[in-house]
Amino acid sequence: MEQLLAALFQLFEPTHLAFLFAGTLLGLIVGILPGMGGTSGLALVLPFVFTMEPSHALAMMIGVLAPTTTSDTFPAVLMGVPGTAGSQATVMDGFPLSKKGMAARALSAAFSASLLGGIFGAFILSISIYYAIPIIMAFGFGEQFLLVVLALLMVGALTGDNLFKGIASCFLGLIIGSIGTAPITGDPRYTFNTLYLLEGVPLVVVGLGLFAIPEIVGLLDAKGSIAKSLNTKKGWFTGLKDVVKNWFLVLRCSTLGCLVGALPGLGGTVVDWIAYSHLKQTTKDTSQFGKGDIRGVIAPESANNAKEGGALIPTLIFGIPGSGNKVLLLGGFVLIGIEPGLDMVTTNLDLTYLMIWSLAIANILGAGICMGFSSQISKFTLVPYYILAPVMVCLIFFATFNINRDWYDFIGLLSFGILGITFKNFGWSRPALLIGFFLSSKVELLSYQTQAVYGLSFLSRPVSIILIILCLATIVLLTKQKFDNNYRSDLIKGKLTQIYYIVILLCLPLSMIWFTSSLDYRANLFPISLSVIALSLLVFILIIKIADLKNLPFLNNTLMKFARSNIFEISGNFNNQLFYYLSFIGFLLMNFIFGFPIAAALFINMFILFHNRKAYVSSICISAVLMLILWSLSSLLTLQFPNGLIGLLIDLPWWLGGQLN
Amino acid sequence: MPSTKFSRGEIMRKILILIIMSLFSFVSIGNADVNFAGKTVTWVVPFKEGGGTSRFARFIQPFLKKYLPGNPDVQIMHIPGGGAIKGSNYFEKNAKADGTFIFGCSTSVIVNVATGNPLVKYNLSEYRPVVLLPQNTHWFTRSDLAEPHDLSKIKERKLVLYALKTPASADLFHIWIYEKLGIKGAKPIPGLSSSGGYQAFLRGEIHLSSHGAANYVKKVKPEIEKGKVVDLMTLGIIGADGSVSRNPLAPNAPTFPEMYEKVNGKKLEGDDLEAYYAIGAAWSQASKAMMLPADASDEIVKAYRDAAIKMTNDPEFKAKAVKALGPFPLIIGEEAGEIIKKAAVFSDTTKKQLNAALKKHKFTYRVQ
Repeated sequence: MEQLLAALFQLFEPTHLAFLFAGTLLGLIVGILPGMGGTSGLALVLPFVFTMEPSHALAMMIGVLAPTTTSDTFPAVLMGVPGTAGSQATVMDGFPLSKKGMAARALSAAFSASLLGGIFGAFILSISIYYAIPIIMAFGFGEQFLLVVLALLMVGALTGDNLFKGIASCFLGLIIGSIGTAPITGDPRYTFNTLYLLEGVPLVVVGLGLFAIPEIVGLLDAKGSIAKSLNTKKGWFTGLKDVVKNWFLVLRCSTLGCLVGALPGLGGTVVDWIAYSHLKQTTKDTSQFGKGDIRGVIAPESANNAKEGGALIPTLIFGIPGSGNKVLLLGGFVLIGIEPGLDMVTTNLDLTYLMIWSLAIANILGAGICMGFSSQISKFTLVPYYILAPVMVCLIFFATFNINRDWYDFIGLLSFGILGITFKNFGWSRPALLIGFFLSSKVELLSYQTQAVYGLSFLSRPVSIILIILCLATIVLLTKQKFDNNYRSDLIKGKLTQIYYIVILLCLPLSMIWFTSSLDYRANLFPISLSVIALSLLVFILIIKIADLKNLPFLNNTLMKFARSNIFEISGNFNNQLFYYLSFIGFLLMNFIFGFPIAAALFINMFILFHNRKAYVSSICISAVLMLILWSLSSLLTLQFPNGLIGLLIDLPWWLGGQLN
Repeated sequence: MPSTKFSRGEIMRKILILIIMSLFSFVSIGNADVNFAGKTVTWVVPFKEGGGTSRFARFIQPFLKKYLPGNPDVQIMHIPGGGAIKGSNYFEKNAKADGTFIFGCSTSVIVNVATGNPLVKYNLSEYRPVVLLPQNTHWFTRSDLAEPHDLSKIKERKLVLYALKTPASADLFHIWIYEKLGIKGAKPIPGLSSSGGYQAFLRGEIHLSSHGAANYVKKVKPEIEKGKVVDLMTLGIIGADGSVSRNPLAPNAPTFPEMYEKVNGKKLEGDDLEAYYAIGAAWSQASKAMMLPADASDEIVKAYRDAAIKMTNDPEFKAKAVKALGPFPLIIGEEAGEIIKKAAVFSDTTKKQLNAALKKHKFTYRVQ
């Protein structure tokens, strides 16, 4: 009770609210930009929460996370492009509604459903926290180990376009996560004797590289302004009435969202589809679905926001993230000294409540802003992407540099960037890779700990048995729903590139085995077993791909059809994307020579002028505004700009890239 | 030759004046030097935000600004990475000796040096410590496994599991402690942080657990009052003369030397005592520290130490220090330098002892 009150007081402190509000605004913006979701948003914020008070940092992070699933509705409804993975199902009916001129109705229904779902999720979370202590005490090393492994398998199975590619992505993530000091013996693994890799690759670098860069490149490739025209004036009241009329649907889908969100590892990439298919199964008249049924907007939106509350349960009490953005939230917890686990429901209970209520308030704020300023906000979707992209790239570079103030981080960023681009284009799973990467050390340690305490007997403990059954059932049910699609391999071009790509991927496990084989067995058992599994998966996928290319007959039985579905995948023009990616490398070189401030101004102007010769006024204004923001930010937070070769030769002032002191 | 006499006297007088003047100017330069008005002091912390060393620095930061001559701004610069080596090496390379750079040290920074990590490029034992913040370790177990302050039942067990983050950290000392107390069943579970280990301990998965003073008060005391957990011992508080006294937070619990004597039937002495002092200095006495670079002048060191002493007399500091920093008084002055030397330079016999304990538990890691 005391902690409840303490949290309440802190919640309404002006500074706390201010940070929450700032975070919410940022979250709204990244939600609107198609493809950028909470994951990229959090990755951008993390390097800056360093210098803040823990409670402010918390407010900021929750603020960024909460409204992305609300504002992502703008692109979904107006353009038919999901703003985040969680609003894919919203497009199904939201976009047709918008084409019928009922965009405002769809938006207002989506926002209010989203709002109700979000508050419902926070409500469930605050109740379930009360029952968490016995659950935590029942989950020993063995149960935790199972939970993590099953979570990984679920993510892999459900987020990839193809089951095997999804699981392989997961193992590749685990392998990358095992780079660094071996936890048992302290041997350096795969570090090439560098200090940089000794603690592994920084999480934020992986997050930004895998998620932000591919989306920027992808949208540059899609070209042009984002939305064609906007009509969001009329119909707000109708949308609200729709939600009130369908209150029971909102309640059911929120519950569903909360439950699915709480299943570790599932956390939300599929929740909108589950809600949508629930709606289809429980409705008599399905004729309007896909053509603009308002219920098709309400169901996924209430579910995808309710899942945020549910997904925080495993995140807070076990430290097991359910989705990409929870991975980064956990990373942020570490930064501000919060360790998930028992403390969250005992000594740190006030922080937990602060988080839950911040979540609720951020939801209300987010939905309120979306409704109140919808016509202004939706103009964001009109800004051509060649203007947004260089600004985003500058922000990403600045954020990356501030993680460790290390030039190596840029190499990491661009390496994971190209990995992300190829993963996205060729239908591999980026969330699975990120979660695998994050959970790698946990899996390794838990396997040793379980072995030391229980041996194999942990498998026969009752909680373990329940977990295994639960997980297998979920996978079977969901894969059936997910993969009964109509895959047509003959539509895809450039298959050979994708086959060569696997050969490149094979290098990672092979080199891992090569470099760790001479170490003590307790240091190399984990990476080598992972590599062997990854190798067999990759080879299997390679065989299927080649068979598909040659159209061999053995692929036609049912089981093989399953393995074959989406084995090739292409989204967008890969060569175009590579070209844009190369321009980022150019930006890095400019940074190296001129230092960040000069390079950023040059890059923005060059990039915009390259796309539109006449836009020099806006390019100069945009670069000036961005630099002003970054200058005030860095003097406020004593952040440092990357200083280039010129900064070493000439004594520059700090705002042009000189030393900060 | 009176003229020469006169001139010689004049020369002598001039020399005298020069000497006196230079003396004065030396003193006045010395004073003028230690004025940080308008300057910014950078406090390099080789850890992430939110950790113990960062909290220590943040707590001291406003007082330092208040009491240093000239009231400079004090900014904390976090450089985490490489097990604290990156930030420490950065400090060694970039710190200026004029008092505008200070270093936030902790047990792990010391252990990196003491155990001979080849990546270490900082000469810690020559640094000029200003303030040391001591800590103390408490050991405890479940009440169904042992009587309070008594190891005999624990020693009979075949398997005694305990948490060990990594042998390349201060947790290495646990291995040595259990070895010296003859707990034959002791087996470390790797990769568990102290809070993760404590959770596993509460779930009944591991048998021995330990915590620093702050968490002991916050998390373990309530369980002891409920009767679920019993105290075993504390590391003990080492005085300037080498005497060891009990920890005021658990006054009934024996210190490690007491427990050693009870178990082994002889006083802690010789190589074992030397190892205990080295471990105690690194783990307990210099748990957190604020340091100036090795080449900082005596005047600067004195200005900092004076500021630290004024700080400890500040009523606001007195009101908040116990809650923020723990119950143990800060160590300020020359004494601190001796402790750092003891902690950072392990003798060969101490290293041999630690390596023997590591080898016994089949760790490949060795103290160099």
